Amino acid sequence: MNNAIAPDGGADATGLQDARAVDRLGPYLRATWERREWSWYVAASELRSRQVNSVLGNLWHLLNPLLQVGVFFLFFGLILQTDRGVDNFLGYLSIGIFVYLHSQKATLAGGKSMLQYRQLMQLISFPRALVPITSTMTEALAALSGYFVMVVVVVTTGETFTPAWLLVVPLFAVQVVFNAGLALITARAVHRVYDIQQVLPFVFRLGFYASGVLFNVNAYLEDNPLQVVFELNPLYCFIETYRGLLLDSNTVDTSLVITALIWSFAVFVVGMLWFRGAEDSYGSE
Amino acid sequence: MDPSSHPHLSIRVEDVHVRYRVVEDRGLKLSEVARRGFRSRGSSEVHALRGVSLDIGVGESVGILGRNGSGKSTLLRCIAGVQPLTSGRVLVRGRPQLLAVNAALDGRLSGRRNIYLGGLAMGLRRGEIDSHLDEIIEFAELRDAIDRPMRTYSSGMRARLAFSIATLSAPQILLIDEALAVGDRKFRRKSLERVRDMQRDAGTLIMVTHNLNEIRTSCQRAIWIHRGTVRADGEAGSVIDEYEATDE
Repeated sequence: MNNAIAPDGGADATGLQDARAVDRLGPYLRATWERREWSWYVAASELRSRQVNSVLGNLWHLLNPLLQVGVFFLFFGLILQTDRGVDNFLGYLSIGIFVYLHSQKATLAGGKSMLQYRQLMQLISFPRALVPITSTMTEALAALSGYFVMVVVVVTTGETFTPAWLLVVPLFAVQVVFNAGLALITARAVHRVYDIQQVLPFVFRLGFYASGVLFNVNAYLEDNPLQVVFELNPLYCFIETYRGLLLDSNTVDTSLVITALIWSFAVFVVGMLWFRGAEDSYGSE
Repeated sequence: MDPSSHPHLSIRVEDVHVRYRVVEDRGLKLSEVARRGFRSRGSSEVHALRGVSLDIGVGESVGILGRNGSGKSTLLRCIAGVQPLTSGRVLVRGRPQLLAVNAALDGRLSGRRNIYLGGLAMGLRRGEIDSHLDEIIEFAELRDAIDRPMRTYSSGMRARLAFSIATLSAPQILLIDEALAVGDRKFRRKSLERVRDMQRDAGTLIMVTHNLNEIRTSCQRAIWIHRGTVRADGEAGSVIDEYEATDE
């Protein structure tokens, strides 16, 4: 394979350059950034066209998350009663579910995007990182309605608004960066071995139970060495930080915030570099 | 040859091979499973290009002809820089652009939104599309249908829209894959004119088509691709005559 990663896009003295030259990292990132309008427009359009054929249309953006919370609350709140050590279980549960599912959907979409946009990659030349990044943007937009429902649930279950709630916005932005990193990694992995797509849902199901979505980890694992596993789990860190901001009974744990930030930065950088490593091969049959 | 001896070279294709595996949609016989082990599905290798070399100068207009499956479109994608090569390399001067936006469009959305989807995909800015919007709609002859979902368009309407979007940007190397054979006679004439204008600005034009007349009228040079190799390369008229005379 012709992996010409040459300076200046491979231009020689005559101005001829390799048609498949992969830009150096700087120009590559710049070219990706320059196409942000496209990414944004595709994401918004994708979201728009998803609901075009349903009777209730955009209402599903709200109904779907409400039903999700309803089902989980029925089983874990009312039947199994995993609400040990939680004051506002409905709010607690909503935050866990929406934050977790957002990252799950974004990661899986990153894998699918390579197939979804394959034809596009076969015809138009652009930094391929835009493909998983665009699917991440689509899922971020799609998740907004879930976060909206989440806030509504939190308010109606008696939490009081504080200015700290506004910090949810930058926290969401950090989570999107984290998701983009995961989507980039998944995209290359799925491009290599398609079967990974079959395994991923189970990985996320496992993670669902290991991220404290449904129960208060501290109430179950007090002084248990397993607690460290949770504290190093980036999604647990995100979920707990959202809870710390939105629930009166929870406080923000700075060490979890730092862990989440480090994870997001690291996953995004690794994802970008690793994805670009196979830039030359995307879009093949 | 040293490329620096060709200051007016627009495209240089050097011994390009393209090979890829495709998974076949068929079950395997037991004997094959025994032989291949756990590579559970049959796959076969397609050798689309087998050592193609070409030089194309700035200002040339080149038609590529050949039978279905001969590798014409693959060659065009190689020049566009979107096809992974197995070996060899393709050098270009300036930005090549395939005249193809269909893949960027979404049938569920209106023609208007698709103009933005296609234009942005080709690297245009939103403002540039804004200022050309009316012109595109006018050229595509879709004034009344522009806010309808694109999937409700006839194939002719869809092709006109795609062509109008695709010809909005001005690339230095214009690559066309069967894009001219769209719409009715009137639109075809109009689009041919548009392509001539673009070629004047672009400098280099390469088109793949089965319509030999299009090559005869629009190209000075023709290249005949046969089973992944260059079978003939020269003045358009004589290559076409040779192609037509060979019946295989």
